[in-house]
Amino acid sequence: MKAHAAEGRLALQRCTACGNIQYPPRELCGVCLADTLEWRVTDDEPGEVLASTVLHHSHEPAFNGKLPIHVGLIRLDAGPTAIGFLTEACSAGTRVRVTAKLDYRGRAVLSAALAISKEVS
Amino acid sequence: MNDYGDVVVCAPVTVPYVRRSDKGAAWWLGSALRRLLEASGLAKRQVDGLCLSSFTLAPDGPAPFVQYVGLSPRFLEFLPTGGACGIMALRRAARAVQCGDADVVACIAGDTNGAESFHDLVAQFSSFSRDCVWPYGAGGPNESFALLTEHAMRRTGATRADFGKLCVAQRQWAQRNPLALLRGELTLETYLAARPIAVPLHLLDCVMPCAGADGYLVMRRVHAEVLGLRYVRILATIERHNAFPDDPIQWRGGWAMDADALWQRASIGPDEIDLVETYDDYPVISMLQFEDLGFCAKDAGADFIRRNEFGPGGNFPHNTGGGQLSCGQAGAAGGFLGLVEAVRQLTGAAEGRGVDGARHALIGGFGMINYDRGICTAAAVLAA
Ligand SMILES: [Zn+2]
Repeated sequence: MKAHAAEGRLALQRCTACGNIQYPPRELCGVCLADTLEWRVTDDEPGEVLASTVLHHSHEPAFNGKLPIHVGLIRLDAGPTAIGFLTEACSAGTRVRVTAKLDYRGRAVLSAALAISKEVS
Repeated sequence: MNDYGDVVVCAPVTVPYVRRSDKGAAWWLGSALRRLLEASGLAKRQVDGLCLSSFTLAPDGPAPFVQYVGLSPRFLEFLPTGGACGIMALRRAARAVQCGDADVVACIAGDTNGAESFHDLVAQFSSFSRDCVWPYGAGGPNESFALLTEHAMRRTGATRADFGKLCVAQRQWAQRNPLALLRGELTLETYLAARPIAVPLHLLDCVMPCAGADGYLVMRRVHAEVLGLRYVRILATIERHNAFPDDPIQWRGGWAMDADALWQRASIGPDEIDLVETYDDYPVISMLQFEDLGFCAKDAGADFIRRNEFGPGGNFPHNTGGGQLSCGQAGAAGGFLGLVEAVRQLTGAAEGRGVDGARHALIGGFGMINYDRGICTAAAVLAA
């Protein structure tokens, strides 16, 4: 997932045995327990914001200069739910497109932006 | 064999909580064990069962711990399940005693809270949380509960003032409980004016981490009577893990799967409960328990809060020692707090805050916020 995120692509796991698409990544399928997983790679994934929060407090000093931070729980149309950064205007019910990149520590992170701007353009 | 026969719960103890401690978890847990021995008059060798819960005991676990404190139990459970561990320990201890695998089970939970221990705990809480929640601002449990709270507020129409009503009532109880860490007066205005942490959560919605330990004993009634201990009976218990995995967001807990069985086995209904001890690291979880355990209809949680009074003298005594929101959250001991308080109430040991004529108590447990939801739920009905 990290390697794909480094190229700006979002990778979700797909089970070749039962077709389940899952996130967070695991070493086997959370539904049928098979370990025959492949990466399903896209530029972005459509989804809908289920809930959102605005963080004013962080346990990591690295985030302190960036507060407040908008975060949401997003239901991907592909199936799983994911926590991701939100652009400010995203609240529950908002249609979004979710992308991946590497953060300052080299971790794959997801961000959701309004779907409409991309669909119109 | 659903009933617990003549198994009873007694000797509720607390090692008084402190905000920070340089002692290790073994000191806190061992001190709880010492208090259990003092409260019961039992010798260490008479304690032949142990249920242990802790997050900060590492690198030690249950086996190193029994050597550390010199116990030789023939029944040993380790339950690192956070807010559900108190009721889970009760269930396992009661069956062990009922079936003869142990005569006296000491159930203890506790954690220390050094300068870095809370940070280390939440940063490495689980693989999902470390990889897929922590990078998003490192808000810890506040962040996950903020998402659940924001959703629940839209679902039920609950406002910050509704949650504040619960917090204010709990503080009124805490002012009658010398063991509570937060005992200063709390008004709704103060609650509403608190600084934002993870909107919609503000400072007074978020449980305060601390160090502490709690414990109780499980044995046969005749044994408790010989020791001269006041005791409570176990009418029914439930536990469930990872309930409703297909719910895209947690709008109900595992209690909703098992509440009917709980009340059926208890042979009483929610109306006959005299006091309720919910798991309350955030007030939204108390509201979920009111709904899912049958005190009100689903989605009616906010209305239920508005129609009832939860403080001393109220019609619905709730978290009668102040709950975690006023006592503090001593790690795994948070899963014991409500159970220990209920045993105190039902045995007349809740000095200065006793609920008059209390016969039946409901205790809820909620543990292990992992990734997007709490995994473990439990509940118990106890009788004087
Ligand atoms: Zn599969």
